[in-house]
Amino acid sequence: MNTGFYWILKALLSHYWRHPWQTLFLTIGLVAGVGLWSAVQIINQHAEASYQQAQSLLGAQASHWIRSRRDEGIDQSTYIELRRAGFRQLIPVIELEVSNAAGVSISIIATDLLALPETVFDGEQSNQDFSKTWLDFVQPPYRAWVPAVLAAELDLEEGAQLELRDGRKLPPALIQAREQQGRRVLVDIGAAISLSGSNRFSYLSVGEITPAEYVRLVANLPGSLELIENQQHLDLQQLTASLHSHLTAMSLLSFAVGLFIVFNAVRFSLWYRRATLLDLRLMGCDLRHLMSAILLETLVWSLIGTALGFVLGVALAQVLLPGLGASLQSLYGATVDAELGLSAWTLLQAWSITLIGLLWALAWPLYRQLQRSSLEAGSTDVMLADETIARRRLAFAALLLACLAWVAYTQIETVTQGFAVLGIILFAAAWILPFLLARALSLVDSLLPQRHLLARWMISDGWSQLPALRSAMMALLLALTANLGVGSLVDSFRDAFVGWLEVRQSADIYLRTPNLDYQALETSAGNASWLADSHHRIGVSARWRDRPALIRGIDPRATDSLVLPLSRWQGESAASARQAWREQPARVLVNEQVHFLAGVEIGESIALQTDNGLREFEVVGVFYDYGNPYFQFYLPDDVVASNWSHHYSRGIALWLNPQNKSAMQQAESSLKAMGAQPGDWISQAQIRRLSVGIFDRTFAITAAMNLLTMIVAAIALLASLLAILHERMPQFAQWRALGLRQSEQLLLVAIPLLVFCAIVWLLSIPLGALLSWILIHKLNIISFGWSMPLVWEIGPALQLAVVVLLICAATLLSVSFQWRRQMPQALAQLGETV
Amino acid sequence: MRLLFLVCAALFGFSVQAQDVLGDLRDQGLGFAQVTPGKVLEFPRDHGAHPEYRIEWWYLTANLSDSEGRHWGMQWTLFRQALSPEPVAEGWQSNQIWMAHAAITTPDGHFHAQRFARGGIGQAGVTRISRDGYFNAWMDDWQWRSNGAALFPAELSFTIGEREIILTLETTGALVENGINGYSQKSAQGQASYYYSQPHIQVSGFVTQDSDKTDLSGQGWLDREWSSQALAENQQGWDWFSLHLNDGHKVMVYQLRHDDGNHWLSGNWITPNGEKQLLDRNAISLSSTRTSAIETGANQVRDLPLDWQLSLVNQKRSWRIRPLYDQQWMDTSIPYWEGVVLVEDEQGNPAGVGYMELTGYQ
Repeated sequence: MNTGFYWILKALLSHYWRHPWQTLFLTIGLVAGVGLWSAVQIINQHAEASYQQAQSLLGAQASHWIRSRRDEGIDQSTYIELRRAGFRQLIPVIELEVSNAAGVSISIIATDLLALPETVFDGEQSNQDFSKTWLDFVQPPYRAWVPAVLAAELDLEEGAQLELRDGRKLPPALIQAREQQGRRVLVDIGAAISLSGSNRFSYLSVGEITPAEYVRLVANLPGSLELIENQQHLDLQQLTASLHSHLTAMSLLSFAVGLFIVFNAVRFSLWYRRATLLDLRLMGCDLRHLMSAILLETLVWSLIGTALGFVLGVALAQVLLPGLGASLQSLYGATVDAELGLSAWTLLQAWSITLIGLLWALAWPLYRQLQRSSLEAGSTDVMLADETIARRRLAFAALLLACLAWVAYTQIETVTQGFAVLGIILFAAAWILPFLLARALSLVDSLLPQRHLLARWMISDGWSQLPALRSAMMALLLALTANLGVGSLVDSFRDAFVGWLEVRQSADIYLRTPNLDYQALETSAGNASWLADSHHRIGVSARWRDRPALIRGIDPRATDSLVLPLSRWQGESAASARQAWREQPARVLVNEQVHFLAGVEIGESIALQTDNGLREFEVVGVFYDYGNPYFQFYLPDDVVASNWSHHYSRGIALWLNPQNKSAMQQAESSLKAMGAQPGDWISQAQIRRLSVGIFDRTFAITAAMNLLTMIVAAIALLASLLAILHERMPQFAQWRALGLRQSEQLLLVAIPLLVFCAIVWLLSIPLGALLSWILIHKLNIISFGWSMPLVWEIGPALQLAVVVLLICAATLLSVSFQWRRQMPQALAQLGETV
Repeated sequence: MRLLFLVCAALFGFSVQAQDVLGDLRDQGLGFAQVTPGKVLEFPRDHGAHPEYRIEWWYLTANLSDSEGRHWGMQWTLFRQALSPEPVAEGWQSNQIWMAHAAITTPDGHFHAQRFARGGIGQAGVTRISRDGYFNAWMDDWQWRSNGAALFPAELSFTIGEREIILTLETTGALVENGINGYSQKSAQGQASYYYSQPHIQVSGFVTQDSDKTDLSGQGWLDREWSSQALAENQQGWDWFSLHLNDGHKVMVYQLRHDDGNHWLSGNWITPNGEKQLLDRNAISLSSTRTSAIETGANQVRDLPLDWQLSLVNQKRSWRIRPLYDQQWMDTSIPYWEGVVLVEDEQGNPAGVGYMELTGYQ
């Protein structure tokens, strides 16, 4: 290395060990930003990889599925006949949903390990324990292979038997998991048959199959079964894309907040290093060498930030993944492996984004400093003048951004565009903030009585603090806005969802079983004492516009059909639209997803594939269907029965007699007596608990990201205040020498800080509302295809005010501690410096 | 002798790399029915499965030739294993597990396949024999089905990859009970099995691959064996031979290799008219004359004794036995060598064909 270059680099970097606090905050900012961003990226890419694996079943390829057309499952004898006809690529699968005593939903997947191709076990057979594990798995009392993460959540120890809601028990647990098991419990098919009481398979998975064999398989299939191509990985990618975009947007926001800390730290490093840079220039150092040294410094920081940030990201991802995995499984049926997989690509991306961020936050300001004429650079006046110019420039840029956002808003068509507009709005708000803070300070200054000197001093000291606090205030604004906006989105969704559940799930019991005759249940005289009303629904699974869809046949006169909530309708009222739908067989109700995602309007006709070819149905109403990722069509049950011969039962809803106090007990014993198994039915309360549970879990990651972003913003604030303290210590020492008490000095710092925070908080309220308005009315509809009313309450904003006050109090406390520690030295140095 | 131990190792050990794959077999098989001398084998009942015993197999090999006189070979085996001595349960709770191996030695190379299935569900099994029933042993679409309760005449059909093999099996002689009336002792410590063979099987049929069809014919050999405990502590593996001599005689010999080199040898000499003579260790001289390094997996080579010298003292005859070609390795869960061998007399003239099995070589 060139010796000159070495000394330049050494001189520049010496700053970091002379000012360890600066170094610490720069590191924290970088690591927090990179950590939060990479945590989400790791989760997204892990989920993506898991979707790709949906082409496989527990490590075996699954190119197709064989399913019952009527959702009745597959008879064992059919499976054996197909195996004996030479279709060895078939793997029987039973999937069960059970819940434990606490009502936590647990997915069970069961298969015959002996039917899996031997290649699935490659590399395992050399393990001495393999044969024992394997033999224990296939024979009574069997074993339940439970992923470690799930076992920890369920507090399940190895060898223990998980007790289900109805008293049944799973086989003894073995804490381990196979490929693509996700969060599911894997058991032998024999154990699943014992558990479910039904000896039918959910479906058969079809491994690699040649075209000739495919034709032969189709010819050998009984008419009641169908061979379906496994498109799950495509479906999952499509269905979950929006969710992952949301997460990415949140992570980018966190990264931006992290960068504000970096920017802040760099600002101070510039302040301190301007003398160094000046000296180096005056000593005749080559500008190119200086530039190279700055770039090298940037590179080093990017490597440190990426390495530490990635470690934090992995740790965070590990914490956040189980909740998200559970949600993806409940909402989309996606199996996300419980064990995290990492890719070099994510690491490379993390490094790239860090480097870009640092070039903007570190290298560019240093470069700007270098560009100044040597003498100019050293002047404090120049710095202050610069601040005013910078504020104006930022405000002007913010106005431009706001205009851009206004124009772009009208053009939003995709989720990514939507988030880009949100990003622009947030940055516009952040950039105009210093200007607004300055204006507010002037305003307060002009309003204060001339005689109140201390107050005037406090406010005018704000001018000295403003440049230092600028970045921290921007970070705080972003964090507060995101918290309010996303919080309001979640509250709105929760309100809408719970309200909708109450209307839609009005029946007391939902029963679905092949072992019971629904008609006998409805008409049996013995049930009259407890059964007030019932509604047997039928359905057909279909694909519509390349997405999974469900055509449901419902009784148009059933209690819940009569009040089906519609968001849009044809004619005068929702009731008249429902009536029109009841009376005309060629009319259909569609869910909001069909309206928003497929762009189908009221009055339009849609074509559905029936037994007799395509048939047109006119859309007369759009119903709310929260959380459903699929398209759904409601038709009167007789229309479904006459158009789709392979329709199947979707279960029956039962309303209990409200006069009968023991109706629930009577219902349960009647259902058992008629052949239903415990677990075949679920009560309304349980459905609600499960649904709200899934909902809360889905948004747990949002809450976590919000909290972390707030923490990062708090760190930014602390970093700024400590920097101010450090920077102005000689000044504070002078004041102390002039007789100012410490509490008065603290007030001098605290009051402007509180004024700034108050303004930021005030600004975040309308901004947060704007954010949630765009999220709900634009992004949510584009992403998920449903709408909901915006719920805006002052409560969360007040809570955030308390949080901001607490952050201020904590940082001031920490500052005063530092102050007390450093003051004696500063006093001793009075007269030596400045 | 066959894969008596091998099958248990495959199902219990399931381990290719394990140094002591046969370890599980050395327990006493407590709880299972035990093999004792004096039992009278009864047919067709004993053609069927004996689920009260731990292990059992139906083991067919055949030396075949095509219209050009080229040598071919076929192996088809169904193994049964009881996982526990409790009474057999039907359905998925069954404690029976089945394994099947098939291999074909062709002029172009040796190909093999392995399958597993559970008992109790109909995916694999051997039908219970009744007087008016028929014998059927199968796994998935691999099937050996006779026309009646006897094992033969029968049709055997199976596939190995793209190759489909369909063979007709007929017999020209009686079954041969090995050991003493089917009680076959395997060691001085008392390990034993029930063991009978059918060395007189006429085989004809064809192999198809894509549109190519090759007609084949030749002679086959069946081994039926069941036991609950068979391997002694000091036994490492075995070398087994079944030979069809050109003069119409059949020879079966095996040696169980002991740690101390004092191997357990046994066999049968069967005349063309079906008379048999039990061969004990003093009547057999068996030694390897060539050891060759065989590639037995990725980056794995094993030294196997592939050429042998066999002498029968009482018959005053001696043969040289060598493989049709060396690479007839069965790379299954428990790997072993099994394939076509050619037999030459002392003058070096062709004297017959047969099958050889070599197990327990690391």
